[in-house]
Amino acid sequence: MSEDNILTTEGLTKSFGGFVAVRNVDLRVRRGTIHAVIGPNGAGKTSLFNLLTKTYPPTSGRIVFDGRDITAMKPYDVARIGLVRSFQISAIFPRLTVRENVRVALQGKTDESYAFWRSGKTLRRLDARVDELLAVVDLTGFADSPAVQLPYGRKRALEIATTIALEPTLLLLDEPMAGLSRQDIARIAQLIRQLAADRTILMVEHNLSVVSDLSDRITVLSRGEVLAEGTYQEVSTMPRVQEAYIGGVHAA
Amino acid sequence: MFEWIDVSIPTGAALYSQLLIGLINGAFYALLSLGLAIIFGLLGVINFAHGAQYMVGAFCAWALLHYAGIGYWPALLLVPLIVGGLSIIIERTLIRHTYKLDHAYSLLLTFGLLLIIEGVFRQAFGTFGQPYAMPSSLTGATNMGFMYLPNYRGWVLVASLTICLVTWYAIERTQLGSQMRAATENAKLTQALGVNVPVLMMLTYAGGVGLAALAGVMAAPIYQVSPMMGAEIIIVVFAVVVIGGMGSIMGSIVSGFALGLIEGLTKAIYPPASSLIIFVAMAIILLIRPAGLFGRSQGVPAAVSVVRGGADTSINPWLSTALLFLAIVAPFFFYPVFLMKALCFALFACSFNLVLGYGGLLSFGHTAFFGGSAYVAAHAMKVWGFPPELGILAGVATGATLGVIIGSIAIRRQGIYLAMVTMALAQMLYFVAVQAPFTGGEDGIQSVPRGMLFGFIDLNDRLTLYYVVLAIFLIGFAAFVRIITSPYGHALKAIRENEARAVSLGFRTNSFKLICFVLAGALAGLGGSTKVIVFGIASLTDVHFAMSGEVILMVLLGGLGTVLGPIFGAFAIIAMESYLQAYGAWIKVIQGVIFIVIVLVFRQGIVGEFDRIAGWGRRLMGRSPSKGVQARDASAGAHN
Repeated sequence: MSEDNILTTEGLTKSFGGFVAVRNVDLRVRRGTIHAVIGPNGAGKTSLFNLLTKTYPPTSGRIVFDGRDITAMKPYDVARIGLVRSFQISAIFPRLTVRENVRVALQGKTDESYAFWRSGKTLRRLDARVDELLAVVDLTGFADSPAVQLPYGRKRALEIATTIALEPTLLLLDEPMAGLSRQDIARIAQLIRQLAADRTILMVEHNLSVVSDLSDRITVLSRGEVLAEGTYQEVSTMPRVQEAYIGGVHAA
Repeated sequence: MFEWIDVSIPTGAALYSQLLIGLINGAFYALLSLGLAIIFGLLGVINFAHGAQYMVGAFCAWALLHYAGIGYWPALLLVPLIVGGLSIIIERTLIRHTYKLDHAYSLLLTFGLLLIIEGVFRQAFGTFGQPYAMPSSLTGATNMGFMYLPNYRGWVLVASLTICLVTWYAIERTQLGSQMRAATENAKLTQALGVNVPVLMMLTYAGGVGLAALAGVMAAPIYQVSPMMGAEIIIVVFAVVVIGGMGSIMGSIVSGFALGLIEGLTKAIYPPASSLIIFVAMAIILLIRPAGLFGRSQGVPAAVSVVRGGADTSINPWLSTALLFLAIVAPFFFYPVFLMKALCFALFACSFNLVLGYGGLLSFGHTAFFGGSAYVAAHAMKVWGFPPELGILAGVATGATLGVIIGSIAIRRQGIYLAMVTMALAQMLYFVAVQAPFTGGEDGIQSVPRGMLFGFIDLNDRLTLYYVVLAIFLIGFAAFVRIITSPYGHALKAIRENEARAVSLGFRTNSFKLICFVLAGALAGLGGSTKVIVFGIASLTDVHFAMSGEVILMVLLGGLGTVLGPIFGAFAIIAMESYLQAYGAWIKVIQGVIFIVIVLVFRQGIVGEFDRIAGWGRRLMGRSPSKGVQARDASAGAHN
């Protein structure tokens, strides 16, 4: 109803053959919040995520982003209107330098990327913005090394830099802490908090301590359905949520 | 135009006999695509040598009869064992090393095998066929009421259908089959469960090749036993596989028979289209249902997985100046025609380098752009009297147009499928060149006048011609360098590195790939039409798939994704062909060996390896010596 929902889904469902991965999910993400989707393994978190980023089409249901029905839109167009995702595995361009990685993301917004007749020097005007973005994620010193040479946590930071280069109004983070060391987790958590200052963040995350620490609202999924929704305090005390997590001791 | 199209619908016996021929062809398509599917399913290898192994099967049967007096029936059992057994050696010594690499490497390696096997047989038997007598028990024909069915053909139909169904049953319904399928899903886990996966893979390869050899024995009495029989059929089979979906055993059987039947029907109705119909069917199905008839649709855009090179964009100014100087004085030291030929092929190599080295698109039918443009340029200059500059322009436009057509169909699939689709489309163009009225069939378009460039530069003077060709090359090369360093070039490299990520950053990746095909088409067109001016001829060689293999070899040899490497590669291959001309088919064998050595040892090409080993290569080519190696590790990691 209210205008402060940046993303809503209605009856979102995805089935693969006979298996229903996401069932009838009504999700409401408020503008300016950090919203986390959690749930035990196989709860449908990643499938939901892939539906939201248009990686595959839903079987039924609707997705509305910023007042616009995006159910039938293509993934690259969704990215251009401000809904941008990161990946579970650090999605970088390994053999481009760190600088080129970010610059390509800035290029993505312009149709100038088709200009095969123009000199590459025209891209230099993006360099100032590249430097700003690299400074945000603390990668200034690595600008000219190939992305593949970065340590794992830094690759994650680079991916976030390329993601925010598109100035998304809604940032989708797919398990941003997966595979990170303790120090890296602290660094990335700090970065996410910083990014949330002027945008909405929706993330899928396993690490419950990170979730409790960062998120304003939490949706718990189980077997493809919404089990509970609320603040961390609220959902963590619900018996049915605890039940869903029994046996599945997650990093806390 | 219309007198060329002569449609008539035959009835009765004539129709049935064409349909029967179609079914027989379909039986061989089914047997071969079945073997390909089995090998791909477990090993992840596109066995390009499959057609050659089918040919070896036929020759083996012929040799058993000819030299040892062993007849058809024992050969049916012996030949698959012999050829399958030999393939175990190939698997253990060569193919095994590609399992951990990208699929594209196995395609290139087995393409090398194909060249070697075919070259050896051509050297030994020429291109003429050897007759193989039908077994006496199966001569004659049976009256079916509506037609006479030759007994041998009836036997081939029944036997191949039985073999297909038994194989399907063995894989889908038995314990061995379930082990194979398990190993396909998760080799490590299956190994841990006590199945010897390497042996299973070895036997699977032998089994798939054995099927091809068996098909070869059955084909021997029907077709002429000739070294060329494998190459002719394998590209059709690739189209069948694209239609049926590589992962499906039943899919390959059904599409094999069905497409044979459609081909037979076309032959009855409109013969000239019969060699094209399967490729047309493939194109239509790709447009409607990109995953193939039996394939599962791919929801997630898979990252382009092809051979990865360095995608370097730097050129050393000193080196370029030195090379330019060399190019200017070269005609006083070398045979100018050789130099001009090499320059035309260097443009062709730049075009392929753009597509694969920078776009990550393994176009295996690249000669369509080169040859197609050559034909149009030759026709324009000879028949329409175009001056050379307009002839070349017509060629470039043709290349670009073919880029639009082939590109828009091919980019619907990725990686090795893209390779097979481009190969099939190029073969379609080849058949058009064989049959169309204006291409001159086997003779090609000959004695195309060179004319006067811009009305005052006489191209019949050899030295003038050389400098004009050099200027054209430099223009094309400059365009190539501009493209790879442009904003578009940067975006293209990013898409090649990680397509899914590029999509998530707002890139319409398919538009970029299509543009890549169009630009490469134009560049290849420039090379092809310039070649027409140099030699005054456009012929079937220019559109034959062997030429697609040659340009791949040039680029791989020189160094994929390096700016200058492919030019060296082009010169090296053209020089080799000029100096070894006297050795006939051995050239193919040597090229095959080079393919295999590159895939197994020098995946960086001459320039890349040279660069990696010698530190001064870094200053010379402007690349850091360790970059390529790390990149390879990275891409290996990304596939896990």
